Amino acid sequence: MSSIAVKELYKTYTGAEEPTLKGLTFSFRKGSIAGLLGPNGAGKTTTISILCGLVKASSGEVLINGLSQDAHHREAIKQQIGVVPQRIALYPQLSAVENLTYFGNLYGYKGKGLKARIMELLEAFGLEKSADKEIHKFSGGMKRRANIIAAILHQPSLLVLDEPTAGVDVQSRSMILQFLREYNSQGNSILYTSHLLEEAQSLCSDVAIVDQGRLIVQGNPEQLIDELPDCDNLEDVFLHYTGHALRD
Amino acid sequence: MLRLLATIRKEWQLLVRDKTGLTLLFLMPVVLITVMALIQDAPFKDYQEVKFDLLTVDNDHGRLGRHIREGLASGGQFRIIDTLDGKPVTAEQARQLVNEGTYKISIIIPAGATANIVSNANRIVNDISHRMGMSLALPVKKNADSLDVTIYFDPAAKKAFKGAVHQAIDNFLTQVETDMLLGRIRQELKSKDTSVAPSGDTLPIRLQAVGLKEEATGTGKQIDVISNSVQHNVPAWSIFAMFFIVIPIAGNMIREREDGSLLRMKLIPGSYLEILLGKMLFFVGICVVQFYCMMLVGIYILPLLDLPKLVMGRDAGATFLVAAAIGLAATSYGILIGTLFKTPNQALNFGAISIVILSAIGGIWIPLEIMPHKMQVIGHLSPLSWGLDAINDIYLRNGNIAYVWKNAVRLVVTGLAMLAIAGYVEKRRMN
Repeated sequence: MSSIAVKELYKTYTGAEEPTLKGLTFSFRKGSIAGLLGPNGAGKTTTISILCGLVKASSGEVLINGLSQDAHHREAIKQQIGVVPQRIALYPQLSAVENLTYFGNLYGYKGKGLKARIMELLEAFGLEKSADKEIHKFSGGMKRRANIIAAILHQPSLLVLDEPTAGVDVQSRSMILQFLREYNSQGNSILYTSHLLEEAQSLCSDVAIVDQGRLIVQGNPEQLIDELPDCDNLEDVFLHYTGHALRD
Repeated sequence: MLRLLATIRKEWQLLVRDKTGLTLLFLMPVVLITVMALIQDAPFKDYQEVKFDLLTVDNDHGRLGRHIREGLASGGQFRIIDTLDGKPVTAEQARQLVNEGTYKISIIIPAGATANIVSNANRIVNDISHRMGMSLALPVKKNADSLDVTIYFDPAAKKAFKGAVHQAIDNFLTQVETDMLLGRIRQELKSKDTSVAPSGDTLPIRLQAVGLKEEATGTGKQIDVISNSVQHNVPAWSIFAMFFIVIPIAGNMIREREDGSLLRMKLIPGSYLEILLGKMLFFVGICVVQFYCMMLVGIYILPLLDLPKLVMGRDAGATFLVAAAIGLAATSYGILIGTLFKTPNQALNFGAISIVILSAIGGIWIPLEIMPHKMQVIGHLSPLSWGLDAINDIYLRNGNIAYVWKNAVRLVVTGLAMLAIAGYVEKRRMN
């Protein structure tokens, strides 16, 4: 069974001359760490927005854990997905605990149970000593880690991360990647986007390279590298399929 | 309910952390209404209530001059100043001081004014005696030169001010002349006809047999409230300040959109409307608290600055209803602006300027009644004018909910309409 299945997905924004997605099709199996890779403007963010139910597709089909992403299943899907946006989607003036308590309350959690869950996650991410510190006083790496905690408070079975390690130090990145592996080992699926292809190569069991709203190639990173004799790593494969032209 | 309460708590935490914003939200309106009430205090007072320094030059040194000085001083409207540095004011000095604007008004009572009036009174008494067949010949001046009391106004004085003061002094002069004439007639008649038994009527002769008395228009027990600077400015500028809640709300919403918190909220199962409702309830509450804080300033602080005390009318329930309705309209406007605009700068500029315009046309700055007719029609479309009308109905007309429900409904319906537009725009963004 697939965690995410996208079939013939089209999206044209109101007023746009060209569609952003032009029949995008891919699927990732349940329990995998999948990478959605592509140059700027390839349609990654639009795809993730449609997967999460934030943007409506013009046409096509999206299945999340077997549920169609439509008005009927939207709430059930939200409960199963955790999203880590690229931006730090937390209130800078509030402390880590206050932020997490608020978002936990929105999920319907409260009281001692929520408090225990928050403290457990803060400890797991090395933030227990900064629990009551306001987010704007956090370092970049601390903010990224707190951003991830806010997305997994409700223990989603599918975690979607948009460049979770962008701009963080080596230690924080290592901790984040370690966490993702552990979270995946508990049977949860992970969809991850990044421009750090070395990281994607080491982390993902499956990657889909998209460009100009279409799927270019999909497969296991090692297999994709082996298929192209002149490519030594995933970055070579990426450049082979998407070219060297700059994308603005 | 948990989502709603959590949102209210979160908004409270955000507001409390923003010390500058919190100060601006509560302290600025206090400063605003205090300054505006002080500045507009004089224009709101009738000229009858204002005491003017009246530079008086008495060249007559007779009864007229004395009567005029005593009469004007006892009327309470004028403070008579007839000496400067211990010396009597001269006509030229008075003209110059008024021309410079040091004093606003001056009157010069000409030499011989009393003699002229007495002569005139004698002439009238002689004429009456002659017509009654009595041979009376009181002394009169041979030449009947007319003498005028001269009045100088500060060249910068407004026409309305000049008119009001001119009329007040003119009325007083007439009164003094008439009193002197009647006194002379009574005195002469008494001395010439002592055989007639006194009627027992010791009342003074009055020129006005029918007087004028002002009564209140309402039906119930009236509060003695007049539209003064405080009664206008405190509610008016409080409503203006309440609408400025638009700035933090819009800024807050745009920041939530920019930093991704809004996205996170939308990714959480459950209706976003509940979160929005929590946000609204919080800010409506802040507006209501703000309103009552301003009223307390009107009641307790402004009287310390020699301004009248604010009177809040008799229906506290109606006042609360109107305050909440204004808060709802203001909060909804903030949410609409926060939804429509993409950057805090856009929202801040549009929000602030639009509130200033809505307040200017809505009678906050100057009452709608004195605006041109077309502006009055436009002004009545401003939600700020509905709020102010409703508060005036309670505070000045002693009204209750029956007086204010229409304006309260207008405010609530407008608020809900703005929310609906914001919802539509937000939904369209999905496409």
